[in-house]
Amino acid sequence: MTSRIIHHPVLDKVDETDIVSFKFNDTVLTGLRNESLAAALLANNIRTLRVHEESGTPRGIYCNIGHCFECRVNVNGQQGVRACLTPVEEGMTVSSGEKFLTSVKDWRSNNE
Amino acid sequence: MNRVIVIGAGPAGLSAAITIAENGYEVLILDEYMLAGGRLLGQLYEEENGKWWNGIKESKSLHDKAVALGIEIRLGTPVSNIEKLDGSWVIYTDEETYYTSHLLLATGAAEVPLSIPGWTLPGVMSVGAAQVMTNVHRVKPGNRGVIIGVNVLSSAIAMELKLADIDVAAITLPKMNQVTKESGNPMDVMNSLLHVSHMAPSAFVKFGSKLMKNEFMKKMGITFFPKKGVKMWDIPIMLRKAVINIYGKDAVEGVTIATISASGEVIEGTEETISADFVCIAGGLYPLAELAAIAGCPFYYIEELGGYVPLHNERMETVLDGLYVAGNITGVEGAKVAISQGVAAGLAIANSFSGGKHEVVIQEAIQTIGRTRDEAFIQFHPDVKEGKEKLQRYFEEYGQEVKVGVTG
Amino acid sequence: MSENKMIICRCEEVTYGELKNTAETYNCSARELKLRTRAGMGYCGGRTCRSMVDSIAHASVERDVTQVTLKYQPPIRPVSFGSLGGVTK
Repeated sequence: MTSRIIHHPVLDKVDETDIVSFKFNDTVLTGLRNESLAAALLANNIRTLRVHEESGTPRGIYCNIGHCFECRVNVNGQQGVRACLTPVEEGMTVSSGEKFLTSVKDWRSNNE
Repeated sequence: MNRVIVIGAGPAGLSAAITIAENGYEVLILDEYMLAGGRLLGQLYEEENGKWWNGIKESKSLHDKAVALGIEIRLGTPVSNIEKLDGSWVIYTDEETYYTSHLLLATGAAEVPLSIPGWTLPGVMSVGAAQVMTNVHRVKPGNRGVIIGVNVLSSAIAMELKLADIDVAAITLPKMNQVTKESGNPMDVMNSLLHVSHMAPSAFVKFGSKLMKNEFMKKMGITFFPKKGVKMWDIPIMLRKAVINIYGKDAVEGVTIATISASGEVIEGTEETISADFVCIAGGLYPLAELAAIAGCPFYYIEELGGYVPLHNERMETVLDGLYVAGNITGVEGAKVAISQGVAAGLAIANSFSGGKHEVVIQEAIQTIGRTRDEAFIQFHPDVKEGKEKLQRYFEEYGQEVKVGVTG
Repeated sequence: MSENKMIICRCEEVTYGELKNTAETYNCSARELKLRTRAGMGYCGGRTCRSMVDSIAHASVERDVTQVTLKYQPPIRPVSFGSLGGVTK
């Protein structure tokens, strides 16, 4: 289980009172207002944010600052949203990307 | 006169914008992250004087200063493209297109990965990701982690994880192959660490207690590095082990390590496992210069600066009219150097508007960059100064070639 | 997992073995290696794997220090067709 670091020997104490609720793959979760979706999900012990479109392998955050796009999820119907750059909001509906029904890679290797 | 645009709200971009605004010109900053500060946000270390360099506070003070000067900062705004059209720089974002005569690229650095079998498993992240999760978002990346890659950055972040009461089971090497190269070679790693120790002030000397560091350096110096590693802040640093696999079903459950020879070859039959729920990959940083590349800047590969850097001079001017660079896009260094480069870039821009009234202060700003570099607490590459000199020579040669081209 | 099956390009799931074999077979530039394997051509635009693809290519071909070996192409962040056409959803 991962957890929040409320008290820190050097940094300020985290205010854990301003809570928002959001939905991830039909489960209602809570997060702290203005934190990133990636942080909110990890605080809920959710590591798998999507599966690879071709192979279906699970993926989670990798770079955490918007460079790698590994944490992309669907937010309120919009695809390809980076969870690490998106502040969690009250009532947000978030879902994981799914595996494609037909693999493009298989097509490529069979048709080249 | 129009509004200057700065891409990147990190230390370089913020300080440049502040400088420009202080000189009476309008600035807009764009950044795709949700907070201002860039990589500075995650930084946390104790300086020589015993004071903490707290990236969040430093970022906030730069941010507040910028806002007080009337600078607009648009966060959550990724730039997808830039181009020069009819003498103006055009900046494309999802929502809007911006135009300016003076554009500063302060896009920082990206992390270099080290590929390990199993590294796509959830729970494997770049070391910078763990830093941001821990120090900025204050969520533990996990309870017990293994850091792959032994360098200045990974050691600094390992200490930050410990500070937040996160167990770091080991800092060790990646298995050597064509992509991990020197990062997987114990002798190369030890040499680079010893190089760091010779510097004053050195990151290794400064971190941790004095007793620990002397003991640590003593142990580092010996040829036969103990298989179990030496401990720094109670974290085993294993230079004679390499991670050969990251395992887990749907997320990280642990890593398999093996003993390696002094030249990095895996010794068969020495495999053992370390259980962990997160793994950090620490391959270092490289200048994130993609916007300079699509704008058409000439580039040079300078290893001491972390990779390909856009050609620019000491005044942070690229060879393209109205395009400036500052911070890690010009070479990987610490935040204080980035701040001083931002000042120089900001003055160069103000100078362009004022018709040359800022020449004296620009020279002072260039001096300050050099001084800041000399006093830097963390140096990512021991020969960064040589790298900068190389770049300067390339710039001069380029200028000569252009002149020859024009007259000939 | 064997090292050859290790993924280099996370977006397109291009493996170390595939890249090494391609580099050895064609003795090619980093750019050609990318075009042949799709490494670095996925969602992130190669920001994550470019240094590794570069390393594999430069194990057999000398690096050109005067130009970026893996060319950057706009857009450097994915843009939806709606935004490209200036159409708002």
